[in-house]
Amino acid sequence: MGRKKKKASKPWCWYCNREFDDEKILIQHQKAKHFKCHICHKKLYTGPGLSIHCMQVHKEAIDKVPNSLPNRSNIEIEIYGMEGIPSEDVKEHEKQKTGGGKGSDSDDDEPAAKKRATPALLGPGPSTVSPGILPTPMGPVPPGMYPGHMQMNQHMMQHFMQAPRMMMPGMRPLFPAASVSSSTPSKPTFPAYSNATISAPPTTSSAASSDLKENGEVKPPVAHSCPLVTATGAGSKIIHPPEDVSLEEIRARNSKYRPKPKPDAPTSHQSSVAPTMITPSTSQAEAVMYAQVAAHMSAAVAAARHQQAAAQAAAMRRPMMPGMVLPQMRVGVPVSVPPVMGMLPVMPQFNLVRPLQPGMLLPGGVMPMGMFPGSMGGMGSMGGMGGMGSMGGMMMQPRYR
Amino acid sequence: MTVTRVAESRTEFKLKSLPEDAISSVKFAPKSNQFLLVSSWDCSVRLYDVSANIERHKYSHELPVLDVCFRDAVHSYSGGLDQTLKMYDLNATNETILGEHKGAIRCVEFASEVNAVLTGSWDGTVKMWDSRVPNCVGTYNQGNERVYTMSIVGEKFVVGTSGRKIFVWDVRNMGHVNQRRESSLKYQTRCIRVFPNKQGYVLSSIEGRVAVEYLDSNPEVQKKKYAFKCHRIKEGGLEKIFPVNAISFHSVYNTFATGGSDGYVNIWDGFNKKRLCQFHRYNTAVSSLCFSHDGSALAIACSQLDDSQVEEPKPEDIVYIRYVTDQETKPK
Repeated sequence: MGRKKKKASKPWCWYCNREFDDEKILIQHQKAKHFKCHICHKKLYTGPGLSIHCMQVHKEAIDKVPNSLPNRSNIEIEIYGMEGIPSEDVKEHEKQKTGGGKGSDSDDDEPAAKKRATPALLGPGPSTVSPGILPTPMGPVPPGMYPGHMQMNQHMMQHFMQAPRMMMPGMRPLFPAASVSSSTPSKPTFPAYSNATISAPPTTSSAASSDLKENGEVKPPVAHSCPLVTATGAGSKIIHPPEDVSLEEIRARNSKYRPKPKPDAPTSHQSSVAPTMITPSTSQAEAVMYAQVAAHMSAAVAAARHQQAAAQAAAMRRPMMPGMVLPQMRVGVPVSVPPVMGMLPVMPQFNLVRPLQPGMLLPGGVMPMGMFPGSMGGMGSMGGMGGMGSMGGMMMQPRYR
Repeated sequence: MTVTRVAESRTEFKLKSLPEDAISSVKFAPKSNQFLLVSSWDCSVRLYDVSANIERHKYSHELPVLDVCFRDAVHSYSGGLDQTLKMYDLNATNETILGEHKGAIRCVEFASEVNAVLTGSWDGTVKMWDSRVPNCVGTYNQGNERVYTMSIVGEKFVVGTSGRKIFVWDVRNMGHVNQRRESSLKYQTRCIRVFPNKQGYVLSSIEGRVAVEYLDSNPEVQKKKYAFKCHRIKEGGLEKIFPVNAISFHSVYNTFATGGSDGYVNIWDGFNKKRLCQFHRYNTAVSSLCFSHDGSALAIACSQLDDSQVEEPKPEDIVYIRYVTDQETKPK
C-alpha cells in the first residue's frame, strides 16, 4: 500500500482532468478556474463554498462549477485540490494514466470493489462521518473484500474527510461586513439631504430642532455607546481610551504639550472665554466645572483610568451638552438669511469685529486641553490681523522642549 | 493574495533625522515624490528629501503641530495646538503667520481649485484663508463639532467631526453646506479621504472599520455604499479592534491604503471590494499615510498616539518610505 502511494500520479483537477506538478498549483488553478465568482471575481475555496457565496452575496443560484467537464460539474461535492475527489474517480483516473501498462496485479480487482463500495459514502456525505472510525465507512463494503483494501480505503477517507471541514473557516469572505453598514439602525444619510440647501450654521428651525433633540436625548446615548469598549461584545475590545474624544485631543491634555504656564492663566482663561461665548452664566460655570473635571481626568493615573474615566466621561458629558451647546441654539437667526460669507455680520454670533481681549490668545493654549473648544461656541471669526501683534509676543516664548 | 513580509526590504527604508516625538502627519509634494513634509508633536515641521534621505528644512511652532500641507513645491502650511496657521516659504526659509483659530488646528489642506488654504479646528469651524497673505476669507461652522478630519479633491471638500458628523462642501461656493450627513459607522470618525475621481469618500472609525461612501445622493448610487471590518487582531479568544488612523489614495488606481493602531498597512480596491495586500507589521501604530502624486511611493508614519497603549520600551517614532509595486496597488 505504501508502495502504491509513492507512485501515485501527479495531482490533477477533478473538474477538468488537468494534471499539475504541485498540488499548490492545482489549488490555485481550481480557485481561479472553478471556484471564482463570476459576479465579483472573488475566489472561493470549494464548489459548495462558491454556491453559498453566490446565494448569500449575490442572491444567485449556481448549479454548475464553472469551466468544468460536463460530467464533473457537480457543485455539491466538496473538492479542494486532490482532497474530496470521489475515490471511484481517483481509481478511474489512475487507471487511465497507467493505461494498464503498469503492473495490473491487484489494481484490477481493487477498483471493482471500490466502485461498489464507496459511492454511498462520498460526495458531501463524508463530513458527517468522523474520521478514524473504522466500522462506519466500512459498513457498505461488500463481503469478500480483504483487509488490505479496508486499510487503504480508510486511509483515503481520512484524507478527504478532514479536508473539507478544515476549509470551512477559510471560506469566510474578506469583507464580512460588506452588508453591515446598510443594516445599522442609525442610517441618517437620507434624511440629511432634506437639509442640503440649508445654511452652514445650524440656525434654521429644522436644523436647530434636530440639534436640540440631539443635545437632549439622541446624542448622549450615541456618545455613550461610542466610548464603551465593551459595546462591541464580550469577545472583543476596542483599543481606544474609553472617552469618545480623538486620540489627539486626549494626548494634547498632557502637560508637556501646554504652553509654559503663566501665573495669571486661570483668570485670563475665564475672562477671555466669556466674551466668546454667547451663553448664560450657568453654562460658564459648567464650563469651568467641566474643565476642572477634565483637568482632574488628565491627572488621573493610567491604572485606575478605565473605570474612572467611563464614569467621569459620563459625568462630564451630561452637564456639557445641555448647558453649553443649547444656549447657542437659542440665538435664533431668521431662516431667510442666507449666511453667505459677506453677510456674516448679520448674524449675532458672527461678530467679526469683536474686540480682542488682552488675554484672548492665551486661553486656548492655557486652558485645560480637555475642554472642548468646539463647544465654546467659537463661531465668531478671529479678528484677522488684529491678533497678530500679541501673537508675535507669543512666538518668542520657549518651546516646551 | 495576502502578502506578508517580515523584515525591512530593499523597497522600504526609514527616514533619517526623524522628529523626537509622535508624528502627526506626512505629506508628499504635489508634483514630485522627492519631497515629504512631516509634522510632529515635537512642535516641528520638517521637509525631507526622500531620494537623498536627508532633512532639508525644519521650522517650529510653539506647540505640537497636528497637520501640514504643501501649496506647491516651495510653500507649506501648518497648524496645531498653538491655534496658529503658518505659511512657510521653503526657498526663502521664512515664515508668515496667516491667522488663528480659537481652538487647536487639527487639519490643514490646500484647495488648488480656489487657491486657498482650509483649516479645520477643534473650535468647531473651518476657515478659508488667502494662500498668500494673512487674510481669512471665511469661517464656516461645522455644526459646533470639533473637526477631526478633512479631505479635498478638486472642489469636493468633506469634513468629519466629533459626534460622527460629516459635512460635504463645494469650495467654489462655501455659502452653504452641500450635504450634512451622519457617519454610517457607529463609532468616532478617525479619517476621511475623498476618492481621486471625486465620486465618493472613504471613512474610517476607531472601531476597526472602513466605509466606502458615494457623494451622489441618487438612491441607485447610494446602494453601492458599504463598510468592512479591518485592523483587528484575534489574540487568545479576544479580538482587539484598533482605530484606523490613516487613509491615503493612490491617485492613479483609485485604490487606497489604510493604517491602523495595530501597526498594519493594508491596500484596498474599494470598487471591487478586495484587499490587494497587507504589508508587514510595523513597530507601532500607523499614525499617517501618504502616497506620492504618482502612487509609486508610500510614506508610512509610525507613532503611538494613545499613551495608555505605550509599552516599554517606548516604540520609536519612524517614517518609512516604501516603494510600492503595481502588484500591491493595482486592481486585479
